[in-house]
Amino acid sequence: MFTHIWKKEIRGELYTWKSLLWLLISSLLFSVTCYLLLTNKELSLLDQTELLWLLGKVIIGVALLIVIVDASSIITIEFEKETAESLFISPVSLTDFILGKLLAVLTLWLAIFVVSIPYIIVASAGSNLAIPFLLYTMLLGTLGVLGFTLLVFAISLFFRSSKNTLTTSLIILLGLSIPAVFSTTLKNDVVSQIISRANPVDNIFSSLDNILVDYQTSLIQNWQFIVPLVAFCLLALIILLFAMRRFQKHGVIQSE
Amino acid sequence: MNMKKTFITTCVRSISLLVAFVACAQSVPPSLSIQIISQNTLNGVAGDFVTVQGQITNAGATTLSDVTTYLSLVDTGTKLPVDLEDWSAEKGLYIGSIDAKQTLPLSWKIHFVKAGTYSLIIVAEAASNEVPQVSVITHFNVAPKKNLNPGQVLPVALGTPIVLLCILFVLSYRRKVDG
Repeated sequence: MFTHIWKKEIRGELYTWKSLLWLLISSLLFSVTCYLLLTNKELSLLDQTELLWLLGKVIIGVALLIVIVDASSIITIEFEKETAESLFISPVSLTDFILGKLLAVLTLWLAIFVVSIPYIIVASAGSNLAIPFLLYTMLLGTLGVLGFTLLVFAISLFFRSSKNTLTTSLIILLGLSIPAVFSTTLKNDVVSQIISRANPVDNIFSSLDNILVDYQTSLIQNWQFIVPLVAFCLLALIILLFAMRRFQKHGVIQSE
Repeated sequence: MNMKKTFITTCVRSISLLVAFVACAQSVPPSLSIQIISQNTLNGVAGDFVTVQGQITNAGATTLSDVTTYLSLVDTGTKLPVDLEDWSAEKGLYIGSIDAKQTLPLSWKIHFVKAGTYSLIIVAEAASNEVPQVSVITHFNVAPKKNLNPGQVLPVALGTPIVLLCILFVLSYRRKVDG
């Protein structure tokens, strides 16, 4: 049943101007970044590895932003348009509903990743880093997108309003992204290091640094970043399961 | 007259003591020394790895404890020290104790992160020595990576959004036709 919801979302969301405009915007952002990095006199002085790292951060950062904005409305729109009630009258379980929506969001991420492929290949020409860059962007991006989407879905079930869900989700993304771009000299104390280890955005950026700047390309050399990302996904799943249980308890029409 | 004589005598004695001390200090070599075995100048391209090899010797008659060696890298262009974070996985090597007349090898794998000219020294400290010992300077000449090809980026930077825009128009047209 979840495939039905997924296909409906693909047709309704990804097969429209609105969703393709997101892809066009992300493509323009990648174009501007790539062009400036490779042609601007001062930026092109960056070594290629640092350039790739910067491009990787832009790709995953833009993808997370777009996916969070999309995920913030994909569930709440059913409440705001009052279609949730009729949807749950039909034989659709809440799990199928969430799974269908999750697949739709992951498809959007996949589309953004596909758009980023030419940029990754062009920027990493001659460095032997194109394949690790592609594979790790896919892996780290998927883990990041999955964790954030599960978290945003949980927030959606709590608030049932696009405005509140979007605001909260963007605050969480900003709250996690800002410390992630701090230099490592600012993360020397124990508290900063613990926060850095737990921060999924920080782990994504640090893993890209490890792969692209330090050439530590094997999974074993990156486990210290991937394990916290998997833990973040599991934590987000637990929060979502709790939100789903609460939602089922309160019902589709929430009493004031 | 007597005071003048005493003053001159004191001055002469002080100068003699000072000369004796300096002569003594120069004659006693430092017990800890670092020799660089690898080349004095290492050239490469940003992204390359080089190995700086050296050895540390305790030339003294007693064992030295708590010996630590670490790197110090300076960008000779900007005259500023460089954060070793991406340059070397091991910023310092704790050696512990070195027996009298013992020599131990030192090896650092250095990653050329950024183009420029740099000078690297190895510093060694021992618990009993107030003054650290330094190696001779190893010079790094790091050339920029030349495989950036701005010519390739323009077709992709312009082509990808244009292709997406075309898909957008085709989809929009098909939706209109399908009603």
